[in-house]
Amino acid sequence: MSKIGITALVPPELIFACGGEPFDVNNVVPASRKYPKNKLCAWTAIWKEMLIKKEIAVDSLIVVAGGDCHNALVDGQNVAMSGLPTHFFFYPFDGDPEYLESQLYRLSGFLGDIQFPEKPGEIMELKKLGQMIDMKRSCGKISPAEAFSILISFSDLRGDMDGFRKAIASIKESDFELDSRVALIGVPPIYYDFHEVAQSLGLQVVFDELPYEFIRHGGTDIKEIARDYCNYTFARPLSLRINFLREELEKRKVDGVIHYTQFACHHMLEDELIREGLDYPMLTLQGDLPGNTPQQIKLRLEAFREMLERL
Amino acid sequence: MIGLDVGSTTAKIATIENGEVKYRITSTHNWKELVKGIGNDEIISTGYFRHSVPHRATVTEITAAIYGVRHYFSDVDVIVDIGGQDTKVIDVRRNNFIINDKCSAGTGAFLEFVANYFKIELNELGRLHLKAERVPDINNTCGVFAISEMISQLVAGYSKEEVVAGMHYAFARRISFMVPQAETVVLIGGTVKNEGLVAALREILGKNILIPGEPQIINALGALKSYI
Repeated sequence: MSKIGITALVPPELIFACGGEPFDVNNVVPASRKYPKNKLCAWTAIWKEMLIKKEIAVDSLIVVAGGDCHNALVDGQNVAMSGLPTHFFFYPFDGDPEYLESQLYRLSGFLGDIQFPEKPGEIMELKKLGQMIDMKRSCGKISPAEAFSILISFSDLRGDMDGFRKAIASIKESDFELDSRVALIGVPPIYYDFHEVAQSLGLQVVFDELPYEFIRHGGTDIKEIARDYCNYTFARPLSLRINFLREELEKRKVDGVIHYTQFACHHMLEDELIREGLDYPMLTLQGDLPGNTPQQIKLRLEAFREMLERL
Repeated sequence: MIGLDVGSTTAKIATIENGEVKYRITSTHNWKELVKGIGNDEIISTGYFRHSVPHRATVTEITAAIYGVRHYFSDVDVIVDIGGQDTKVIDVRRNNFIINDKCSAGTGAFLEFVANYFKIELNELGRLHLKAERVPDINNTCGVFAISEMISQLVAGYSKEEVVAGMHYAFARRISFMVPQAETVVLIGGTVKNEGLVAALREILGKNILIPGEPQIINALGALKSYI
C-alpha cells in the first residue's frame, strides 16, 4: 500500500478508496525540533524540509495548493523539485461542486484509480463516531486534549482505519468542569500541549474549528464527496466561514473565542474581519516555531480567563 | 495584605495604609528584600515571576493593571503598560488586550539600547529630549535597525539630544499602532517616567493622556486591589 502524504484536508475517502494510506505531514511538526531555513510559516517549512531530506517517508505527496494554505503552493513545488511525485489539489473558492468533482477525478488518476469503493462508506461511519466524540467533549464528558488528539487525526485516520477505530473505542469518559468554554478557531496551534495548558489555566476548549471540518464532510462516491467537501469553509469566502462559526459557537454556548494564527500565514489577515463578525470576547494568539506552549502564550491565556471571569 | 509585582527588570511592592498607597521598588533579583517579615499568605503576586515567588494568590499583569489604574481613575478607556520587555495595551471598554513581546521596538529594552549607545543612564533620556531644538525622522520599525538610523542622523549633524528625541517619536509611533479608538489613555510602567517619551506619546496619540503619580507600582497595587 502506498503511503500518500497530504499537506491539508484532502478527502481521505478517496485516498483509501484508491488503495493509498494517507499521512498528514503536519502531524510530525508540533513534536519536531526543526529550525527550517528559508521559512515563512513553520508548518509548511518544516514538512517541506523533512520531505526533501526524506525524514518523512512517503511515496508521493498531495499538496492542497488552492484554498486554505498559500505557502504550501511554493513549499510543495520545492518538494516536487526534489523528486517526490507530487500532485497539486485545488478547492473551488466559489464552492462549485463540478469543479471539485473534476479535481477529485484528476486526483483519483494520480492515485491509480478507485479499487476499494466500499472505503468511503466505512469512513462515514467512523466520522459519525468523531461527531459523537465532539459532542461529548462539548458536554464535558471527554477531555478537550483527548478529543482534539482524535479529531485532528481524522485528516488521515492515522493511515490505518482499523487501528484508528480501536483508538476511538479506547477513549475514556469522565466528568470535566466546564467553567470557561472557549472555541479554538483558525489553524491548529503549533504547540503539542496547547489543549492541556489551556485546561490547566481554566479554559476548556469545546470547539476546534479545523478538526471539526475533518469530521463533518464525507460521501460514498466522487460525486457525493465533491458536493460535500465543496463546503470546506477554509477554502471558501470568509463571510461564509463566519456565518458557519456563528452557528457552531451558538450551539456550543461558548464564553469566548481563541483565534490562533501562525506567523507569516495569510489567515492572520482575517483576524480583524473575524473579530467584527463574531460577537464574543476574543483572544488572538500568534505562534511561530513548534514545541511546548511558551510562557508568553500562557500569560495571554491566563489573562483571557481572568477577563472572562470578570464579565 | 500586599501586592508584589516581580517583573522582568524591577520588583515592586504596594500596600494601602489608612487609605494611603505605600510602595517600594528594587531590582528584580532583589525582590526578597521587599517581602522580609511578610508571610506568604499576605502576598498577592503579579508580573513575569508571579508564579515563582511566594504568594497567596496570583493575578496577571493585565488584570492587575485594570484594578490598579481604577484606584486613581474611575473612567478608563485604554491602558498602555510599557514594561522592560514588552508593552501591553488593554482596551478596558471592549475587554481586549494585545501584547507586543516579539519585537524590542516599543518596549523599555529599546530605550535601553539608546542609553547604552550614549553611555548614559536610562533616566537621563527624558532630560536630553527636552533640550532638543529639532527632531530628526527615525522611521525604522525595528529596534536594532533604528539604532543604525540613529547613528546616520548623528553623522548627518543632529545633536545627541535631537537624536534621542527622534528615537522617542519612533517609539511613540510604534506604540500608537497598538492603541485602539479611545478618548482617554492611561500610561503606566516605569518607562513612562521618561518625560520626553510621554511628550512624544501625547503628540502622536492625540488623546487625553493620564499618568498616575507613581506609574511603576500600578500593577503591584492592582494585584492587591484585585484580591481585597
